Amino acid sequence: MANAVQDIQIRHLSRRFTRADGQTVTALDDLSVTIKAGEFVCLVGPSGCGKTTLLQMLAGLLRQSSGEIEAQGKPVLRPGPERGVVFQKDSVFPWMRVIDNVEYGLKCRGVSKGERRERALHYLERVGLMQVAQAWPKELSGGMLKRVAIATVFANGAEILMLDEPFGALDYVTRHQLHDVLLDLWLDGEGGRRRTVIFVTHDVDEALILADRILVFHSGRMVEDLAVTLPKPRSADDLVLPELVNHRHRLLQHMGLIRPAAAKPGQ
Amino acid sequence: MKPLSPSRRRAIGLIVLLCLAAIWQLLSMIYPAEAQPGEPMIAGWQVIFTKTLLSLSDYWQGGLGVRSVAEGASRGYAAACLTLIVNSAITLARVLGGLAIGTLLGMIGGLAVSWSSWGRRIVNLPMQFLRTLPLLAMVPLFQLWFGTNLFGQIAFTAYGVSVIVFAGTVNAVANIPAIFIDNARSLGASQSQIYRSVILPGILPGMRSTILLALGTAWSAVLGAEYLGAQSGLGYIIVYAQQFAYLDRMFLVALVILVFAAVFYTLFDRATRKLLAWAPQTSRREIAR
Ligand SMILES: Nc1ncnc2c1ncn2[C@@H]1O[C@H](COP(=O)(O)OP(=O)(O)O)[C@@H](O)[C@H]1O
Ligand SMILES: [Mg+2]
Repeated sequence: MANAVQDIQIRHLSRRFTRADGQTVTALDDLSVTIKAGEFVCLVGPSGCGKTTLLQMLAGLLRQSSGEIEAQGKPVLRPGPERGVVFQKDSVFPWMRVIDNVEYGLKCRGVSKGERRERALHYLERVGLMQVAQAWPKELSGGMLKRVAIATVFANGAEILMLDEPFGALDYVTRHQLHDVLLDLWLDGEGGRRRTVIFVTHDVDEALILADRILVFHSGRMVEDLAVTLPKPRSADDLVLPELVNHRHRLLQHMGLIRPAAAKPGQ
Repeated sequence: MKPLSPSRRRAIGLIVLLCLAAIWQLLSMIYPAEAQPGEPMIAGWQVIFTKTLLSLSDYWQGGLGVRSVAEGASRGYAAACLTLIVNSAITLARVLGGLAIGTLLGMIGGLAVSWSSWGRRIVNLPMQFLRTLPLLAMVPLFQLWFGTNLFGQIAFTAYGVSVIVFAGTVNAVANIPAIFIDNARSLGASQSQIYRSVILPGILPGMRSTILLALGTAWSAVLGAEYLGAQSGLGYIIVYAQQFAYLDRMFLVALVILVFAAVFYTLFDRATRKLLAWAPQTSRREIAR
């Protein structure tokens, strides 16, 4: 359902920081882009290019220096449960058991005990953590904590989901398992509607496997907007298909890992 | 190093204590100097638990069917034990009263100030000054303000405790990682919900060490107040004994205080362990391998 009101509209968005030494850094520079409802967008780019800054502004946790963000027809002024965030750092509350963490947002909004328990267990099951529902977070591994964070935002029913390098620190196998979980959950959102996912990564292959659309950033500017049409779910094997090989080439070029063909000597 | 079982740990603690007691006894034997005739500088255990203990009956003022020395009775263990019990009870009342009131006020104040970042900024500097102000320097002031009665001593102790707890609370709130607050906000929690479900549990580990610190301060404050004015309590016995160079009595009373402090610590540790079941036990982590 292409509904412009459900889209995320970003217009001339900038954010500057003043460092302790008095120097001004432009973390995000005049970004204008529209992210459609239900789209799975990956933000890629080298570290320090402004990905986290953008995500924090979309989440309403950081004010922009200039420009506007509109989500679901309203300007974003503060955080809200309709925009869930999986943070790069561990955000699971250590003083609550796993199940209480997953229920937390629902509890804050007054969802009844029975209903929120049911939802929490459902999503814990989806991320494969039923057996540790009653455990303390300190008893879980890093990958399990990430899955708790994902279950928490999904259980909270966020329409827009933002993940900031969520799997960056995980091992290869866990990461691929979590890709499947994430895509599963994205594909069957509530009411048959897909959620909007904004996924930050600096891993090119991860973006190619997950995204409908890849936005490439460099020094606070968006330098590329690629559509990926290959149907999902995709696996690591699909990385050899022509579309993904082409995209990959372009992405690596942007990262300075492959020189543009024209610049090659002797051609 | 692998962690020891609780029974092993207790056994080791006991052995260390016994060794310390033996060293004390040894010292009393190789250093028999006396402060005055009949008053050894270091009293051995055979003196402490007989003559010293008996001498405490001098402080008994009669009542409960046990006559005082002033009334013509000779020294006895009943009067000595009653002396210890009554004076301990008085001192404990001061410690606990000051601790309870001071902790409550300090915590409420710290939480209130931490509600906004402006509150924290405003109290930061005065708080640093107040913390460096030596507690005992305030005893005379409190005596003049509140008198040398139970109320004055509790007020003084509560003051000392509340300064520490206040600073500890403000610190603990400031040390909660911002990511937990961001997470709560983006999941839809209101400011007051964040206070209840993030700030309050989040400060527990910090509060635990703060209150342990305050326990020590409460004892210092009460003893200080008793040195400088009270007519009862364990601190009063120590000061009185000092005037006559009764070193053995001072040592015995210090031992009693040590036992109480240890009991406080153990009870507090037990009480908080369950509350902090979630916390990673960094304090118990072994550095050696
Ligand atoms: N709080 C801050 N204060 C000063 N500079 C910041 C702050 N946050 C981010 N920056 C700067 O903004 C730029 C973009 O940072 P960030 O968005 O975290 O990058 P990324 O997430 O893409 O690695 C970096 O140069 C960083 O140093
Ligand atoms: Mg980042």
